[in-house]
Amino acid sequence: MRKFAFAAVLFFLGGAFLPGIARDASASISLEKCTLCHGKPEFRKLLVGGSIRDLFVTGDMLEGSVHSKKGCTDCHFDVSEIPHRERPRRVTCTHCHFKGNKEGAPQSDNVLAYFDSAHGKAIAKGNTKAPLCQDCHGSHAILKVKDPASKVARGKVAETCGKCHMEIYAQYKGSIHGTALAKGIAEVPSCTGCHGEHRIYAHNDPKSTIYSTHVSEQCSKCHSSISIMGKFGIETEQVATYKESFHGVANQFGSRTVANCSSCHGVHDIRPPDDPLSMVNPKNVPKTCGKCHPGANPNFAIGKIHVDAKKKESGIIYWTATFFKWLTIGTMLALVAHIFLDMYGRTRRLRGER
Amino acid sequence: MSRADLEAGQVIRMSLLFRVQHLLLTVLLTVLAVTGFALMYHENSLAQWIIRLEGGVHNRGIVHRVAAVLMMANLVYHVFYMLFSREGKPELRQLLIGRQDIDDFFQSLRYNIGTAKEYPRFGKYGYKEKFQYWGASAGIILISFTGIMLWAEGFSMVFFPKVVLDLAIVIHGYQGLLAFVILFLWHLYNVHLHPSVFPMNPSWITGKVSSEWMREEHPLEYEKLKREGHL
Repeated sequence: MRKFAFAAVLFFLGGAFLPGIARDASASISLEKCTLCHGKPEFRKLLVGGSIRDLFVTGDMLEGSVHSKKGCTDCHFDVSEIPHRERPRRVTCTHCHFKGNKEGAPQSDNVLAYFDSAHGKAIAKGNTKAPLCQDCHGSHAILKVKDPASKVARGKVAETCGKCHMEIYAQYKGSIHGTALAKGIAEVPSCTGCHGEHRIYAHNDPKSTIYSTHVSEQCSKCHSSISIMGKFGIETEQVATYKESFHGVANQFGSRTVANCSSCHGVHDIRPPDDPLSMVNPKNVPKTCGKCHPGANPNFAIGKIHVDAKKKESGIIYWTATFFKWLTIGTMLALVAHIFLDMYGRTRRLRGER
Repeated sequence: MSRADLEAGQVIRMSLLFRVQHLLLTVLLTVLAVTGFALMYHENSLAQWIIRLEGGVHNRGIVHRVAAVLMMANLVYHVFYMLFSREGKPELRQLLIGRQDIDDFFQSLRYNIGTAKEYPRFGKYGYKEKFQYWGASAGIILISFTGIMLWAEGFSMVFFPKVVLDLAIVIHGYQGLLAFVILFLWHLYNVHLHPSVFPMNPSWITGKVSSEWMREEHPLEYEKLKREGHL
């Protein structure tokens, strides 16, 4: 008995210096107690709206997750007696995940960024449907982002966002990005690729990565990279040619009404040009241009859209530009030569007169 | 030519109306070049500064178009003046390029490299002035047409496919550059840096040049004025 007491004292003393363990040992209710009820698969609750809330949780669910060493009340710390009388409150992740926490729980500015985001602000306004950490990262089986099974892993995040943004998810799934993602292509953007992860803002918020003046920059992150686009045989010149175009220049100088990438290619429903459903399919181009240029006719589709006067493939435009280039260079040379000759001749003329 | 002019040894080269047209052209071409090149070289920091100075790309476009309309109006006025006015008609006749100008050009070349003894004797307008005049006119007409096409892009696209408008952009930009190069090198040399006029030929402000200059640079005109009793 004395031996046990000594061990216990040591344990508590040690616990005070080993963050994370102290509270586990002192205040947590063992897993077994909770699973007495929650471990039954049929343990669920009928909600007011008629939907069923599954309350089935077992210890296995934490297994393999980042919280595998945690007990129930580490997160559900408002549960102090079993069975609990009131419905436990939603778990607050910032209980541990704050800067300088003793638990050693990972912390970045992402939490703060989230509170500033569209989702965080919606929560603050009292929108109970807006997502909290656990809505995206999962509740019990929280895995690291790099784990392909994680709800926020590259391949899964669209599905996670799609739980709430269903219509957009459906559009995205049919798009070139969505179908590529389904094929397991790692380079393709899912939701977070364009919208950001925690810093998600409404599209009409200037802070947003997809604000009208930021869209082209966002798309060009990948589409100007030869190393990424080369793999799929996609040209990178679209970025440069857009920047050179009237649309691109106006956009760079802050015009918000001028066309950016998504004005023509679509937002979530981007499809390759040979797809008849694509907004940039030659058949659909007049309609797409017509959104801003009323009365757009099939003439809008005749000629390359992303045209680069410096490339031979641009045909007559390249040859005209080249002609003018050499005409200008030739004229300059001829004029300079003429000026020097004229000066030379005139000097002799003056000498002769003297 | 007044008595005072004659006593000062000066002859009129540009009448008031021509000076007004020339001054308008000077100012408008400068505005068009500054606003145009700012767009053409928008990645340059100086160009970006100019665009911001103009109040953004939208306002830049307005400035450019206002100057363009005034320049085109100036050109139209000039064409009518040259074709139908009492002063313009003889001027136009003297500006027409003939066989003599080509001969003059080659003779001046030969003289300059030392194989001809005589420097060509020019009338009121030598081949240098004629090249400048017709070059500028052709350039302004071409750049005006492409400019209007691009301005009224919705209207243009009713008749032309997109590729023609892309072509118009290329021509408009390069034509501007070519015009600028010619203006800069040629006009600057002929009316500013040329030893006979340095620092500048005053006729664009006063309308007058010295009869001595006329005798040296435009001897045929000088002789004509003398024959007609103006000198």
